[in-house]
Amino acid sequence: MADDKKTDLLEGIGEHSLSHWQKAWIRFKRHPFARWAGTVLIILYLLAIFADFVGPYPEAKSFRKFQFMRPTPIHFHTEDGKLTRPFVCKVERKRNLKTFKLEFVEDCDQHFPIYFFVHGYKYKFLGFIPSDLHLFGGPWLVEEKAHLFVWGTDDFGRDLFSRIWFGGRISLSIGIFAVIIALFLGVTLGGISGYFAGTKMHLMRGFMRWPGRDEISRKGLNAFGGLFSESALARGWRSAAYEGQSLTFLLLLPLQYIFWGLVAWILVITMRGFMAISGGMELVLAIIFFGGMLIYMLWAVLFGEVAIDIDDVIMRTTEILAAIPGLFSLIILSGILAKYDLPSATRFMMVLAILALVSWGGLARNIRGFVLQLREMEYAQAAKALGAGNWRILFRHLLPGVMGYLIVVVSLQLPGYILAESSLSFLGLGIQDPSSSWGLLLSKAQQGGMSALRDRPWLLFFPGFFIFVSILAYNYLGDALRDALDPRAEH
Amino acid sequence: MTAYIIRRLIHLIPTFLGATFLAFLIIQLAPGDFVTRLELDPSYNQQQIENLRRLYGLDQPFTVQYAKWLSGFMKGYLGISLSYQTDVWQVIKPRLLNSLVLVVLSIIFVYVVSIPIGVYSALHQYSIADRFLTTLAFIGLAIPNFFFALLMLYFALWLKDIFGHEIFPIGGMRSLYIDGVDFFSAPKWRQWIDILWHAILPVIVSGTSGTAGFTRVMRTQMLETKLQDYVRTARAKGLSERVVIYKHILRNAIIPIVASIGFLLPELFGGAGLVEVVMGWPGLTPMMLDALFSIDVYIIMGSIGVSVILLMIGNLLSDLLLAWVDPRIRYS
Repeated sequence: MADDKKTDLLEGIGEHSLSHWQKAWIRFKRHPFARWAGTVLIILYLLAIFADFVGPYPEAKSFRKFQFMRPTPIHFHTEDGKLTRPFVCKVERKRNLKTFKLEFVEDCDQHFPIYFFVHGYKYKFLGFIPSDLHLFGGPWLVEEKAHLFVWGTDDFGRDLFSRIWFGGRISLSIGIFAVIIALFLGVTLGGISGYFAGTKMHLMRGFMRWPGRDEISRKGLNAFGGLFSESALARGWRSAAYEGQSLTFLLLLPLQYIFWGLVAWILVITMRGFMAISGGMELVLAIIFFGGMLIYMLWAVLFGEVAIDIDDVIMRTTEILAAIPGLFSLIILSGILAKYDLPSATRFMMVLAILALVSWGGLARNIRGFVLQLREMEYAQAAKALGAGNWRILFRHLLPGVMGYLIVVVSLQLPGYILAESSLSFLGLGIQDPSSSWGLLLSKAQQGGMSALRDRPWLLFFPGFFIFVSILAYNYLGDALRDALDPRAEH
Repeated sequence: MTAYIIRRLIHLIPTFLGATFLAFLIIQLAPGDFVTRLELDPSYNQQQIENLRRLYGLDQPFTVQYAKWLSGFMKGYLGISLSYQTDVWQVIKPRLLNSLVLVVLSIIFVYVVSIPIGVYSALHQYSIADRFLTTLAFIGLAIPNFFFALLMLYFALWLKDIFGHEIFPIGGMRSLYIDGVDFFSAPKWRQWIDILWHAILPVIVSGTSGTAGFTRVMRTQMLETKLQDYVRTARAKGLSERVVIYKHILRNAIIPIVASIGFLLPELFGGAGLVEVVMGWPGLTPMMLDALFSIDVYIIMGSIGVSVILLMIGNLLSDLLLAWVDPRIRYS
């Protein structure tokens, strides 16, 4: 170990040298804020996991009479100024007869002491362990003799304190799941894109040779000789048979025809519909365009050889995704989603899928860049020379080299996902009532106009604070990881 | 250079087609269409609803609708808004201008604030002010802008309570009256001042994360450039510290900042969108949300088409700008 120092001549011999990851871990621990950020995050996640236990009320428990109630005052002193166990008083909603406003009036005739680790509302911990233990509360809480709303209530009279922790479950986990899906998409597609860049994939091989081509007549064939045997299809078949992949070739062949059939079918439908409702110049242009497309396809089926680079396809897709402003694609997708009446678990999955779908592009582009570099490395060439297959080289040799980068990217992107989820829920397009998420809770702050903010600041500060703190902590963590895993820091 | 620009512009066409087609496809996933909600309205009978569908082309396959929309877009016609019953461009144009006011002001804010702070931080590395500013930048990066917007509104309300009148406006883009005169009959410059006054808080909010990010980049850039050999040479030549900093370090360090306007644009578009919703700024995003609610297809498509084009032009401009500030970069 590094700490038992030897001073003899054999210094250094027998000491374990540290691996790259161990050194990175030491650098990570040295980062001034990493420790704090990590601690804060662990606490937040624990509180969210034990939300049932921490919050005195169940997630959807609502008190119609106590909408937008301010935080219940907790008293530590009795009326004569003596320090006692903390207690709350009964709070009632009354209409002030002078101003006609609804007011909450505290009635301290009876004290309701707060106990810790008490039995309260029943819940199932982690969904299957039945329990009724709560961090704090009292028998009066379940009997509803008095209420304990530590951080006030929302528009349905639900306890904000409890809902913050239930919301934390969604807000804190959705980012992780979304980043996993985005990573999966980004790594796979980016990896494929980089590894196969420059390789052509045939979309169509025409089954006839264009008659009378010079090079063929030079080979001694006459104008119509080898009309089939010299076609792109036949050449493709021969090279596939040569590489021992004739089965793949035969499987892909009908797919090609189905693809072109589908394209042709869509084109024809579009053309017919379009021509029915347009006239004049538009019609002429449409005929030229659609006719040209159909003629091109016919040519391709007969004589052509249409090949695409899969790298191009994937990269153009990411460009298209990047072309739409991120917020717009998010709100359109989730706006459509919000129109469907889905159970909350499904909605959670869909929101997560949307977040991942909108953001895998950037990741894929970066991975592609890395793989493009790595595939020219000697060890990749060596693997190839040893006869390793494409997929083996890609997933076992190249992608592990991107690992350090991925860890950094994940920790730097996670806060973005948390932010995106809370923005969507804030706009009412993400998680919806009665489920809870920090963005959704924050959206209640402005309900009822701008000046509503002033009357119920607890709905503004608490959910907002937690979104802010979790993003800040993840930012610090990501920063520390980036410094720790930076290969330049080794030397 | 001209060839490069033309190539880039041609390259934009498939991306534009793909992006708009994708958006169109997604909108089709919505259950029902604009006319669906009229089916429940007893004042419409089946025949009228069919007529409406035919009138708006909603009975056609969606590829036809897209082709029709596209051919209209090329002619500069964005279609008819189903809920506003007017030309889409008439609906979008004022909203787009409002959004652009916010975005342009935010860009100015970002550059004007972040560059001096970044330079100062780098020149006084590890000083108390530097630590304070770096922490502030971290906070600025982490604060969600809708939360920040709400905080600012709260702040404005608080100021109003203290002083009895609005120091900062509470939401909105213009006052109803300026000095007792109706907004639109007030002199032009008063109108602009009123709008700028309303823009202060939204611009601060939507510019914050960009400012924070740029400050950090600027600081790192300055610190890295400070160690370059040519800086040492410049000092060795006996140049004054001022010249070294502003002519040798700053000019090189600032290049990525200038170039990142391409990254800044989409972010500001999105960020400003949420601020618009929270602060009641009548921009594109609130309109989009309304249009989504009623599946007003052409409003959505129109704003997407226009913003896609704006973003693309923004990116192109930022690449050209990069070539202009950095003589080492030449596109051919």
